[in-house]
Amino acid sequence: MSGEEEENAAELKIGEEFLKAKCLMNCEVSLILEHKYEQLQQTSDDPMNQVSQVFEKSLQYVKRFSRYKNPDAVRQVREILARYQLAEFELCVLGNLCPETVEEAIAMVPSIKTRGRAQDDEAIEKMLNDLSLIKKFE
Amino acid sequence: MFFHIVLERNMQLHPRYFGRNLRDNLVSKLMKDVEGTCSGRHGFVVAVTGIENIGKGLIRDGTGFVTFPVKYQCVVFRPFKGEILEAVVTMVNKMGFFAEAGPVQIFVSNHLIPDDMEFQSGDMPNYTTSDGSVKIQKDSEVRLKIIGTRVDATEIFCIGTIKDDFLGVINDPATA
Repeated sequence: MSGEEEENAAELKIGEEFLKAKCLMNCEVSLILEHKYEQLQQTSDDPMNQVSQVFEKSLQYVKRFSRYKNPDAVRQVREILARYQLAEFELCVLGNLCPETVEEAIAMVPSIKTRGRAQDDEAIEKMLNDLSLIKKFE
Repeated sequence: MFFHIVLERNMQLHPRYFGRNLRDNLVSKLMKDVEGTCSGRHGFVVAVTGIENIGKGLIRDGTGFVTFPVKYQCVVFRPFKGEILEAVVTMVNKMGFFAEAGPVQIFVSNHLIPDDMEFQSGDMPNYTTSDGSVKIQKDSEVRLKIIGTRVDATEIFCIGTIKDDFLGVINDPATA
């Protein structure tokens, strides 16, 4: 892949292919993997034996680090973040880490400030507020 | 970060699998073949979630095997340099600590742990601040930044840091 040397998620340099791809938040991955695991359970007695180590570790990881548990909340998070003209990657980092202050959000996703997309502190603050509301009412 | 992407693979199928279950056979073979694999370009393939398209099969000269180009959707995990994510500490020693984020291993050297944290040996080795308020040991949850990746044929290995703003042990409100 060309330009691999310059890969830097902080500047949103993650390669054309992944920039266009759909990112998934941990909570979304958790829904997908658990669904798949349930399907396996129906077809075999010992599903843990059927899945790869990568699958098992990923499932454990996303279960542990899912911020939102119910599917409705997960959908709302995506809807809210989608209003702020974020790249997929930025959206998912915010959804995964749930920063509490504007300063923290910018430290987690420096590209929201550098890309000149009129994301002022107020807009970011409002976005974080909206997110914390979902969490509260989940 | 997890991604949902479309990948393509040429599947070779033995003639004994031909018949009305051909498609099922092809899909289950695909899952067996690709799930759990890792490439430097796409990262770890966690799970195949759907088939987009199966192209026309081509009989291989001399063997009778048939090659099908299969386009499939899958969930992959690909770590990036500069990415910030949460991970679980798996091992602590005087060189630093290892953490896991899903399928990927991340090493944080003691140079990239804040200077005010000291290594403490014992049966539960850990890094602790001088006032004892913050402790990193096995099973701690940390937020770290990936600063380098090394790609093997079958594995991706990362180097991380917690020496930056808003990084380090996660203040879990549940335990606070």
